[in-house]
Amino acid sequence: MPDPIHQFEIHRLVPIDLFGWDVSFTNSSLFMLVTVALVVGFILVSMRGRSLVPGRLQSTTEVTYEFVSNMLRDAAGSEGMKYFPFVFTIFIFVFVCNMLGMIPGFFTVTSHVAVTGALAALVFLTVLVVGFAKNGVRFLKLFVPSGVPIVIMPLIIAIEIISFLSRPVSHSVRLFANMLAGHVTLKVFGGFVVMLLGAGTYAALAPLPLIMAVAMTALEVLVAFLQAYVFAMLTCMYLNDALHPGH
Amino acid sequence: MPDPADDRGSGGRRISPEDEAAYRGRISELGDRLDKAKAEREAAAEAELDAEMRGRGMAYGMRMAAELVAAVIVGGLIGYALDSWLGSKPWLFLLFFVLGFAAGVLNVVRSYERMQKEIAARTGGRLGTSVPDDDD
Repeated sequence: MPDPIHQFEIHRLVPIDLFGWDVSFTNSSLFMLVTVALVVGFILVSMRGRSLVPGRLQSTTEVTYEFVSNMLRDAAGSEGMKYFPFVFTIFIFVFVCNMLGMIPGFFTVTSHVAVTGALAALVFLTVLVVGFAKNGVRFLKLFVPSGVPIVIMPLIIAIEIISFLSRPVSHSVRLFANMLAGHVTLKVFGGFVVMLLGAGTYAALAPLPLIMAVAMTALEVLVAFLQAYVFAMLTCMYLNDALHPGH
Repeated sequence: MPDPADDRGSGGRRISPEDEAAYRGRISELGDRLDKAKAEREAAAEAELDAEMRGRGMAYGMRMAAELVAAVIVGGLIGYALDSWLGSKPWLFLLFFVLGFAAGVLNVVRSYERMQKEIAARTGGRLGTSVPDDDD
């Protein structure tokens, strides 16, 4: 049976050693670069005309813009729009990485916790910096819900702090786990087809896992979009906490 | 059946009662067909929304699991780190493990509230078609 984990292996394409650190250019780096090149290229080409009545390409970009800006404005209010470039970049990067991963033989960048963890840490640090810069000490009110008796206050604050610190963990794990699980499932069903085809009379059963794999692929495309959406949505909500810490 | 345009062309002649009945019949038939087409289209939209909500339901489920587990892990790690720092094994680990669980439940409750709002905004409170209850 083909190894379902094999697709997640990282290969060094150009080994680079920087002061003892391994910063090689890997297949993961390659696909990140491809993603960025695709996004930048697509947006530049689609917006070249800048016509008042958009064509097909231009409206794709405009719809994406509207989608993200509505999401951000709903979650964080109009002050949140200052962080639009940040949220848009995260959304489009995760979305295109997820979608590129759906092409057979391509590497899924977001199936590695190192990548999603770095993105989540970036969001977490941004929230901390923005929160303290905007509100100063008042940002700590996020950990002190109003109307709690003073006796159990220390307990509540400890729980709130743990809850806050768990955000980047769940933020990153959710995306990476979804992508990893989806791709492993697809690979396993694909493997079943190959195994059944090589198993004499049982080859008649081979279409069953194939149908399943096709259905799973449709579901995975939905998941790829949904997880990018959820990742960006949570970024918006966390930014909202940084901007308006008083709940 | 005479063409209605001819009728009008030949100068204000009344439409015969038979013709009027025929026209009425055609109008009501057209109405029926419109209603049917509308119902079909609504059913298709409903089915599509239902499929989308099912997909979302799965995503929401995963989200809940991640929220709960993440807080427990973070709580446990904090406790473990404090223990190794203060040399109080295993008491702070146990304490923060339990606090982590509480924080996990808090996370789940909060994301559930958000989720309800999102679903209500989209469908008016339904997540997938409700399965008929045996008691009903």
